[in-house]
Amino acid sequence: MTLSRRNILLGGGALGAAAASPAQAQAPLNVGFILIGPVGDFGWSTMHDQGRRRMLEVLGDRVRATQVEAVAPPDFDRVATQLVRTGSRLIFTTSFSYFQATQRVAGQNPNVFWESATGTATARNLAIYNARFYEGRYVQGVIAARKSRSKTIGYVASFPVPEVIHAINTVMRGAWSVDPQMRIRVVWAGAWFNPGREADAARALIDQGCDVICQHTDSPAPLQLAEQRGNVFGFGQASDMTRFAPRAHLTSSVNNWGDYYVARARAVLDGSWQPTDTWGGLDSGMFRLAPFTNMTPEEASEAERIRDALAAGTLHPFEGPITRQDGTPVIPAGQRLTDDQIRAQNYFYQGIEVQMP
Amino acid sequence: MTLFEAILLTVITASTPLLIAAIGELVVERSGVLNLGVEGMMIMGAAVGIAAAITTGSSAFGVLAAVLAGMAMAALFALLTLGLATNQVAAGLALAIFGLGLSGVVGAPFVGVQREGIGQVAIPYLSDIPFLGPVLFAQDPFVYAAFALVAGVSWFLFRTRAGLVLRACGENHASAHALGHHVLRVRFLAVLFGGACAGLAGAYLSLVYTPFWTSGMTAGRGWIALAIVVFASWLPWRAAVGAYLFGGATILQLHAQSAGVPLPTQLLAAMPYLITILVLVLIMRLRRGGVAGPQSLGQPFVPDR
Repeated sequence: MTLSRRNILLGGGALGAAAASPAQAQAPLNVGFILIGPVGDFGWSTMHDQGRRRMLEVLGDRVRATQVEAVAPPDFDRVATQLVRTGSRLIFTTSFSYFQATQRVAGQNPNVFWESATGTATARNLAIYNARFYEGRYVQGVIAARKSRSKTIGYVASFPVPEVIHAINTVMRGAWSVDPQMRIRVVWAGAWFNPGREADAARALIDQGCDVICQHTDSPAPLQLAEQRGNVFGFGQASDMTRFAPRAHLTSSVNNWGDYYVARARAVLDGSWQPTDTWGGLDSGMFRLAPFTNMTPEEASEAERIRDALAAGTLHPFEGPITRQDGTPVIPAGQRLTDDQIRAQNYFYQGIEVQMP
Repeated sequence: MTLFEAILLTVITASTPLLIAAIGELVVERSGVLNLGVEGMMIMGAAVGIAAAITTGSSAFGVLAAVLAGMAMAALFALLTLGLATNQVAAGLALAIFGLGLSGVVGAPFVGVQREGIGQVAIPYLSDIPFLGPVLFAQDPFVYAAFALVAGVSWFLFRTRAGLVLRACGENHASAHALGHHVLRVRFLAVLFGGACAGLAGAYLSLVYTPFWTSGMTAGRGWIALAIVVFASWLPWRAAVGAYLFGGATILQLHAQSAGVPLPTQLLAAMPYLITILVLVLIMRLRRGGVAGPQSLGQPFVPDR
């Protein structure tokens, strides 16, 4: 037998058929992934790639995956259509920047299951998923208030979207729970990924007296800069960034999409897929906090206690009373923001002296 | 150190990669070649630079490798545009895209490797001068290289015979050829110099500025360098003004945001572009027109046999 592409495909098909049980012999499910950044960004896209690998590891021959990385939003339609054409039946689109386009192509391709990482609405064949990263932000706020001597947190932000705004609010909620005098400075880098500018933003914040840096951008540059400056601390984003700043790193929020991808692919395989709206917290395993470093045992155990309370649901970061920056009340004490209200947050809390762009 | 000194220090480091790449491109364009592939050469310098530095453990070797990588990319461009007289705009754009892709492949094994950046070197005595000392003379070696490049290129272009020949090739390649100058050879050397500078600028990013590798880390700095050359009306000292102005405005807008200046951040983010264009246009006005671009810029030259 000559080694041609057709023969390899035949061989692969035979293997797949042999592995599946005779009763439900079926072709492997093709799963597509569209990533906003390069696989090697150490952050958001890297972790989606690891999720894909995990899915292949667990489901083996029953799935195949096609991944397209660094897809700019204007190219999205073309890439998505191409994935559909080449047989993908379940497609994960992993950025909020793709959400509207995903809604559109989902309507045009009703036989394909779509999953958008962060989004605001589901459809018959479109599910949305995200993690409650704000729980990690609350812990960051608590730690920052303990570590900061200047009582000022520096926040390297990307864009003023609700996900970032409610994260800033929650960091301060956590910080105020320790010390009501805590202040925050924010610099908008205008990018999810631009290492040089992220580092410049962190420099500006540190030069103006911030000594704990939170980042809502994807590269390790701000954390690394904290390391260089010394006596400044920082948090990693999306993946465990301890190695970039052994003396400055406090903890990282580490994303884990693998289990979700396994469950969703399995649901398509056995026909139980539903257009769900998943927003997993610390308890769901969709993200975890990397081991606490550069902290005293007391600080670390406090952080652990807060983390566990958030996971258990006994501590809720969006408990009332909540008041807007300008003094307008949002909810009184005893109430709690709904998920939709959190997802739509477009105001800073009272006490944050940063202007909304 | 005062806040003002800290800001100046940051401004100089932020502007250095722009300045180094712009000076290289300025020489290329003065010789009559438009190489739009600065971004591609720069990022190849960044990738190869850190790859070599990690593999050999020597930052100096990393810098050398980055310069050579930039030159190799430039040689490829020269082969297409000088050897085969293809369209320079198309070849330059292709080079930029090619460099972005290839650098991702070169850098892939080095993703996530952590490395100490190249530190600062204080110049004895000069760095003790109050205020100016710490800002200008306690920087990393690349900053000094940028100062030297501006002075050196300015001297070369306007004070040497070789510089005159290079400018002649850029102004009117047919006349330069008629006078017996080897237009293609001059242009080839200029393109190589541009590649070396772009590679050096790339090495600055991956070895000093943010010492790690990620694909796409130049984030458009090559394009800014190109714009600076045009707005500086092809004069090295004005390119320095443009680069420091752009870097300065970039850093200042971040400081303004952090300090809570009540202006929309979108407007602040646009400031570097606005201020740089405005100031350089004003300079051109004051100097009554300044210099127009080299007359043969972007035109392929095919010597008759």
